[in-house]
Amino acid sequence: MVTVKINGKEITVADNTLILEAARDAGCEVPTFCYQADLMGLGSCRMCLVEIEGQKKLQPSCITPVLHGMSILTDSSTVTAARAGVLEFLLANHAMDCPVCDKAGECELQDMVYKYGPAKGAHAETKFKFHEKDYVLSPVIIKNSNRCVQCTKCVRVCREVVGVGVLGSVGRGDHQEETSFLKGLLDCDQDGNCIEVCPVGCFMRLPYRYKARQWDLKSADTVCPYCATGCRMVIEERDGVVVRARAQHGVGVNSETLCSRGRFGFDFIGNAERLTTPLVRKDGVLVPSTWEEAVAVIKENLSAFEGSRIGGVASPRLTNEELYLFQKLFREVLGSPNVDSSARWDSSGVEAFIKAAGMNEGGVSVFDCMDSDAVFIIGSQVSEENPVTDYIIRRISSGRRMNLVIASPRAMKLDSSAQTVVRHNPATEGALLKAIILTLNENKLSVSAGINAIKETKLTDCVASSGVSLEVIKRIADGLKNAESISILVGTEFLRFPEGIDGLDLLKDVCRKSLGKKLRILPLLDRCNQRGAWEMGVHPGFGTGYRAIAGRGMGTHAMLEAATRRGLDAMYVAGVDIASMYPDAGHAREALSALKFLVVQDMFLTDTTRLADVVLPSSAFAEKDGAFTNQEGRVQTIARLKNPPGKAKRDGDIIRAIGQSFERSFGPDNASLVFDEIRREAEMYKEVSLVFNNKRNIDNKLDNKEALVKASSALARGFSAWNGGAPSSEETGDYPFTLMTGNHLFHSGALSSNSASLSGLLRAAVVEISNEDADEMGVKSGSLVRVKGMTHESDMKVIVRRGSKKGVAFIAENFADTPVNRFFSRGRSGARVSITRLG
Amino acid sequence: MSGKFDIVGLVRKVIFSDFARGLAITLKYNVSRSITLKYPDDEKWVPYVRFRGAHTLNRDPSGKELCVACELCAKACPTKCITVIPEEDDTGRGIADRVAKVWKVDLVRCMFCGFCEDACPTRAIRLGREYELACTDISSTVRFKDALLKPQPIHEGIAGGVVAKARFEKTEAGIRVVADTGIIKKRAL
Ligand code: SF4
Ligand code: SF4
Ligand code: SF4
Ligand code: SF4
Ligand code: SF4
Ligand code: FES
Repeated sequence: MVTVKINGKEITVADNTLILEAARDAGCEVPTFCYQADLMGLGSCRMCLVEIEGQKKLQPSCITPVLHGMSILTDSSTVTAARAGVLEFLLANHAMDCPVCDKAGECELQDMVYKYGPAKGAHAETKFKFHEKDYVLSPVIIKNSNRCVQCTKCVRVCREVVGVGVLGSVGRGDHQEETSFLKGLLDCDQDGNCIEVCPVGCFMRLPYRYKARQWDLKSADTVCPYCATGCRMVIEERDGVVVRARAQHGVGVNSETLCSRGRFGFDFIGNAERLTTPLVRKDGVLVPSTWEEAVAVIKENLSAFEGSRIGGVASPRLTNEELYLFQKLFREVLGSPNVDSSARWDSSGVEAFIKAAGMNEGGVSVFDCMDSDAVFIIGSQVSEENPVTDYIIRRISSGRRMNLVIASPRAMKLDSSAQTVVRHNPATEGALLKAIILTLNENKLSVSAGINAIKETKLTDCVASSGVSLEVIKRIADGLKNAESISILVGTEFLRFPEGIDGLDLLKDVCRKSLGKKLRILPLLDRCNQRGAWEMGVHPGFGTGYRAIAGRGMGTHAMLEAATRRGLDAMYVAGVDIASMYPDAGHAREALSALKFLVVQDMFLTDTTRLADVVLPSSAFAEKDGAFTNQEGRVQTIARLKNPPGKAKRDGDIIRAIGQSFERSFGPDNASLVFDEIRREAEMYKEVSLVFNNKRNIDNKLDNKEALVKASSALARGFSAWNGGAPSSEETGDYPFTLMTGNHLFHSGALSSNSASLSGLLRAAVVEISNEDADEMGVKSGSLVRVKGMTHESDMKVIVRRGSKKGVAFIAENFADTPVNRFFSRGRSGARVSITRLG
Repeated sequence: MSGKFDIVGLVRKVIFSDFARGLAITLKYNVSRSITLKYPDDEKWVPYVRFRGAHTLNRDPSGKELCVACELCAKACPTKCITVIPEEDDTGRGIADRVAKVWKVDLVRCMFCGFCEDACPTRAIRLGREYELACTDISSTVRFKDALLKPQPIHEGIAGGVVAKARFEKTEAGIRVVADTGIIKKRAL
């Protein structure tokens, strides 16, 4: 610790603290442009100059560390004169077209000049101009370099945080321009983090261009509705239309960053296709109706069936409160145990996943995970499924020594940060993990029951089926052995292929019990409230807070299966497009059509709503209050910004109205009362604090541990480990590719295809293959190919990904016109396809 | 009241002196120049340039809209009666590629303070010299861009402070009183 004097006030700070931070700690204001806590220090703008007593020259406080005994002045007359001078030079060539500039009103340069600037500049020369007109850098980014202050934050955030590095600085001095290569269109992640960090109006949102001034906007603190990273953001509306989403420095796990889905994907809210009135099927066609009629029809039909013959599926994008009410409606009012929250994977693996991923042990902060010596990411395409988690991992792993291991069949952006990259065959996470365990066990670890169980498994078999060399497996095992603390980040592949969960559970036990390591496991989920959905008990196998329930109900798969056998009469589907998300499209349609009564609640007319008897128009996240639980177990509130369009209602109100038609007292009546009930019902949520808000203040730490759910002791019965069969091995002859599916960087489920901005980034499905395969077939990114499976074929463009496993093809799961689920069929895990070049 | 007898007052009453003084004023005005106007039949007042009447949106000499939809006028307005919604249009309609999609002012709420005029960086918005704002239909007091961009009858070049010959003109909106700036009388107030 060192003690320094700042403006005469003594303060003790840690060694190597920057003068800037020490001054801010002491409550002294120091203006900056190029400084940003998470980015490499640069010291180029000179806005932060301070005077150190005894030194003649002023020093940039953002790169100068404090020394013991320093006496620093942040507002002496020399310093204020220097600031004014810096600003005068910045304005010398500045465009100063504030009236036209989209940044005006929230521009850091405006604020600074207003506060510290010279009233008049002495420069009379003609201003230098980079260009006359703003130029488009991507479908979401537009640029005007004449307003640049050359802070290079955009370049640094793109390289250091996002990890794509497509921006650079061209030229020198005031002719330095931060832009793309040859000012061409950016082929990047399109997340707009360059826009967010730019202090002036250089990088700007194209969808928000000339829409409003900052003072026109009404805003609400919310959480991104796409993946479960749970990025905090502020959404803003003008005249009832949400026009912008932005993140704030120092708020939420994401701080100032968001991915393309979060920053640009909110525009589905204002989509003109939104359903605005309830529809009831009359004489075979859906006709507009009233809420009274719709609810009456639902009540009349549902009361005719036995509870156990009714099933419910609710979207993991609903709030905790709504999901809680949903399962309460089924369990307590309709008397049905059949509730589930996903159509994409079978619910039978979920318990094992929850146990293996330690979700019942309470929330785990991603920052704590990144504090470990070794971080092992498996079963997740994290760079695309959870982009901001990828940023966090990249940023932290570049700042400290750690062993980062990534195992995935497909190459990803984060690979470049990893010490070891493992390319295994699709759906062989289990084999890979077992191989690692067996290698760890080589020198006779204390043998646990679990290890006994896999003793019979031959290391060579595991190695062969995972397609990874023994040498790499040894390297991973050594890495784990040499680490004191280990974090495992596990993705949704384990839910698609639950055979692997066993291995995960075992590795956890081996690391903890046999090797005595400090181990944290973090699930990486791809729907904003998937964890909340489970913890609210929207699952056929357990109740609220993972509580044991009597008798297991049916999950989505079992419900559809039952429906085709006439074993299920009715379904109530809230926000899930089963027909296009269930892996086996034909079967899903057949099952849904076989139902006697189908109620679907959605924002849009989907394939599933088209089959419904009653369609209920529901709401977007911006239209309701409530809370989401992110993948870490952080409970974060969302706030209402506007009202739903037309006669659409909030999901919670719809569920409540249906419940009340059966039982007058069904409730509670509003989101906060429901949350109180959740606190009483679920031990994990009892002490969770919801007070964190999006206000920017110095006490707002990124890692707000108060919001993490606590451990649950309710898992009394213990979730059984996965005991399903091993994946069926198949002949590969005609179909050389294994088809994988999941989320694309710009898309996530049906929601994102309703966003104009995101659809503009990627409109139709593409098939992604490795460079090896591409070379063999002689195709390039953009070539047209035919993808043929056993049940379906489709033509699409190809994207080549360097470094992916040979023989792996990937198609994102959300495109309505290329439904990837047609390639899958029940009873076979995974799908195989052939890819042939067209033209 | 004192008990003293007011002899002077009595004399004044007897000779009608107050009455005569009042009559003198009347007679004086009878022969002096009149300050009332024969409005609307014959004359109409043309105010000075500094007058703050109904809004008008200006164009630059080449006909481009001066307003860049910066919304500063709306922000400056104490009664919040201006709404500006920008849009992008680089066809040369305006002086920049940012132009107003909507520019509207609610004259009923306006207090003609002129802050909007002061805030405008391009001198697009001016409070003009139109002051006949009485109407029977309240909706006509909300004025939109298209109407505001039409030049007002008294253009900026006319100094004002004069009385002009009034004419009645029949328009679709009703009968209007038009000042014929060709026939003016200077008139000191
Ligand atoms: S960047 Fe800031 S100072 Fe520059 S034109 Fe835009 S608003 Fe004005
Ligand atoms: S474009 Fe913006 S962020 Fe980038 S250097 Fe210029 S001012 Fe800084
Ligand atoms: S990382 Fe996930 S939560 Fe964060 S902005 Fe992207 S989609 Fe939203
Ligand atoms: S004159 Fe004053 S009250 Fe009227 S629109 Fe302008 S700023 Fe508003
Ligand atoms: S009238 Fe002037 S102040 Fe108002 S929006 Fe247009 S340019 Fe801006
Ligand atoms: S903030 Fe210190 S030099 Fe830019």
